[in-house]
Amino acid sequence: MKPGNILTLVILLGLVALLVLVPQLVGSRVVERIATALAISLVLVVGLQTFTGNSGILSFAHVGFMGIGAYASAVLTIPVQMRGMALPDLYGVLAQIQVTPLVGIALGGVVAALVAALVAYPLMRLSDAPAVITSFALLVVIYTVLQHWSAVTNGPRTLFGLPKATTLPLTAAIASVVIVVALAFKESRTGLLLRASRDDERAAAALGAGIPALRWRAFILSALIAGIGGALWGHFVTSFSPKAFYLKETFVILGMLVIGGMNTVTGAVIGAFLISLLFEGLRALETALNASGVFANQVVGVTEIVLALAMMAVMFLQPGGLFAATEIGPLILRRFTRRAPP
Amino acid sequence: MQTLLQFTIDVLSLGGAYALMALGLVIVYGILKLVNFAYGELIMVAGYGLFLMNGSGLPWLVMAAVAVLIAVVTGVLTEYAAFRPVRAKSVTAVLITSFAFSTILQNAALLFISPRPRNVPLPDLFSQTVAFGGILIPARNLITIVASIGLLLLFAFLMKRTVLGIAMRAAATQFRMARMLGVPANLIISTAFAISGFFAGVVSLLWIGRIGSVTPGVGLEPLLVAFIATVIGGMRSLQGAVLGGFLLAFINTALNYLLTQDLLQFRDAFTFTLVILILLWRPEGLIRGPATGQRT
Amino acid sequence: MLEVSDLKVSYGAINAVRGVSLRLSEGELVTLLGANGAGKSSTLLAIAGALKSSGTVRLDGTDVSGWSPERIVRQGVAMVPETRDVFPDLTVAENLLLGAYARRRDRDGVAEDRQRMFALFPRLQERQEQAAGTLSGGEQQMLVIARALMSRPRLLLLDEPSLGLAPTVVDQIFAMIAELKRQRLTILLVEQNASKALALADRAYVLRLGKVAAEGRAAEIAAASDLEHLYLGG
Repeated sequence: MKPGNILTLVILLGLVALLVLVPQLVGSRVVERIATALAISLVLVVGLQTFTGNSGILSFAHVGFMGIGAYASAVLTIPVQMRGMALPDLYGVLAQIQVTPLVGIALGGVVAALVAALVAYPLMRLSDAPAVITSFALLVVIYTVLQHWSAVTNGPRTLFGLPKATTLPLTAAIASVVIVVALAFKESRTGLLLRASRDDERAAAALGAGIPALRWRAFILSALIAGIGGALWGHFVTSFSPKAFYLKETFVILGMLVIGGMNTVTGAVIGAFLISLLFEGLRALETALNASGVFANQVVGVTEIVLALAMMAVMFLQPGGLFAATEIGPLILRRFTRRAPP
Repeated sequence: MQTLLQFTIDVLSLGGAYALMALGLVIVYGILKLVNFAYGELIMVAGYGLFLMNGSGLPWLVMAAVAVLIAVVTGVLTEYAAFRPVRAKSVTAVLITSFAFSTILQNAALLFISPRPRNVPLPDLFSQTVAFGGILIPARNLITIVASIGLLLLFAFLMKRTVLGIAMRAAATQFRMARMLGVPANLIISTAFAISGFFAGVVSLLWIGRIGSVTPGVGLEPLLVAFIATVIGGMRSLQGAVLGGFLLAFINTALNYLLTQDLLQFRDAFTFTLVILILLWRPEGLIRGPATGQRT
Repeated sequence: MLEVSDLKVSYGAINAVRGVSLRLSEGELVTLLGANGAGKSSTLLAIAGALKSSGTVRLDGTDVSGWSPERIVRQGVAMVPETRDVFPDLTVAENLLLGAYARRRDRDGVAEDRQRMFALFPRLQERQEQAAGTLSGGEQQMLVIARALMSRPRLLLLDEPSLGLAPTVVDQIFAMIAELKRQRLTILLVEQNASKALALADRAYVLRLGKVAAEGRAAEIAAASDLEHLYLGG
């Protein structure tokens, strides 16, 4: 492994470690909750980066796979004695199976990956705008299914009863693994060929790269991670409805990736950190405004507006995001060697 | 026989609206090769325009014209706010900025108006029915058919017969060459956005005329329709967008007739499966359009 | 009438044109020669405003450097690019109409010029309602030249008009260029077929690796340089 990559890994994993340590030191439940949510975002954003960053195709469907993972794990882990209330119409065999949350989280990822493998292959032949558009359509379809498949998802109503299993150390550990996987995938043969196809589709095809198959692999990996992330989130909040896995969440996840820089894992990580903190700040402000009663109505949507403006500003100034092309490790090494005397 | 007539009218009225939605999206895509994610919000602003003029005492046609004008202005504004600063730099950046702009407009509606549906003023004609050939047809369906087919014909005529229309068709294939003949890039782009806004405005009247009220998220379904119609029709061709719109309407209406009530909830999933099949067969859509196509 | 000095064009790290200076007087036909990649097409595109460049371009004393292509056309410069770029979906007549975009309000003049073009290229008249994409290579080249002339240019930039055409068609094209010269149109001609171009031109510039390697009267250049040598870039 090149020294630059090692340094990247050290820095990014160091950030995750910091995420675990700070709440310990502060000793605040609220800070720990925020840190856990941030670590889940890390999993989701880095997962999206494995597909979007390497293929160059923006995927709007990611949050859909997150939802699939969350619901799959929910169906398998809600205690059997609670099923009658939570999911009264669940099919016979499924109603009897119960696994531990950890297994559920893993299976959530597997189910999401399977669904991705099944639906996505034809879509991977598309490039540019049609590819993005169909991923958007896929998100809507997944949402429709989640909202109407009452037997399994409890329909548009809130599904409750998931065991609370997502802890900060567990999430941070998974986030670390995901970061390692994303960096390794980027440097793998598939990752390299994919990145070549991102820059010049024809040239990469001439090198013998079967582009749809490459994209398909990346998409499945990305869906696997999204499913795991979704399941983690499910066991974090313990009750949710399909609405959680739609445009609002998509916007946040995409915003994190794009502001950080979608071509690098560093960008994904930094984006997740920055936007999560910005979001917490804004949400606190919104709550404070509503509590103070300065405005007659509830103040809603300010958080999204500010995030949208931030996204536009970054795109105007630096269309590739904060880390547009180079991971942080090589970036530091380069600066370091440049400053060194000849 | 009556079912067939009913079916035909359903397909034509839905398809007319769908074709206009798709055309409004593809007119911009054709010129810039960029997707406007804020397209649905053009439909939304026109709807809120109508809502805000409720009780103003103006004749409905005047209110409708103003609503369409609001969509046109917002369309041109979209170009200045979300496209112009980044359009030469990165395709992905434009997707993001237009998505962000769409979020801003939606949340502004949420913040300044309300998350709840708001009724818009509609003429009585929209709620009347016409008996024809033994079936009852909502008048708004006939209005939609007449308005959309009329507009499609007018649009085709303008694109064929005016210098600006010809220049826009030229710019869709060879933008640089068109500029080297003296066609101003910014005029073409602004016109494309204005036309896009115009179609969105008209769609808004027809679409909101169906549902009767406007919400911040009202533009999502038309946006999705436009997306799918253009992908199956062929993103590079205006005819493809129209064809895709009618085809999608045909598929959706057919599913409405065929599916049972509990399967009908999953109609979008069925439609999407069909779209995937069409794309497996023809990845570039039904009408391929010109092979070349560069951006500015 | 055209004065280019120290023109530079680069594509990322590659410098295609590295300080070219040239001048054309009213009514002159000047040819720009050189091997593939010598920077001829880039020079032409930069003069037409279609490529970002540094250096100055003056038209009749007006500094037009950095102007948009649409503005430069209105100064009377018409470009025929190497890639031809007919609008494939548009009919021949519509292509011609767009050639006159800069003076579209002069309807009578445009109609008159169209008849003039049809007289010059009878083939185009036969096919005026046909989509331009269905024309043969030679017909497309005629269309592109006719389209450029529709703007009534004072300066015509011609990039490789004979590229990939059958010999008889090439002769027609050159006959036509000779006719334009007789009408005292100022022409800057980039051409692979150096002997034909030099036979027609008043003066010539030879580009090598983005710089002017030689210039002079066409006859002198033809006599002085071994043409093969010129193109093999030795």
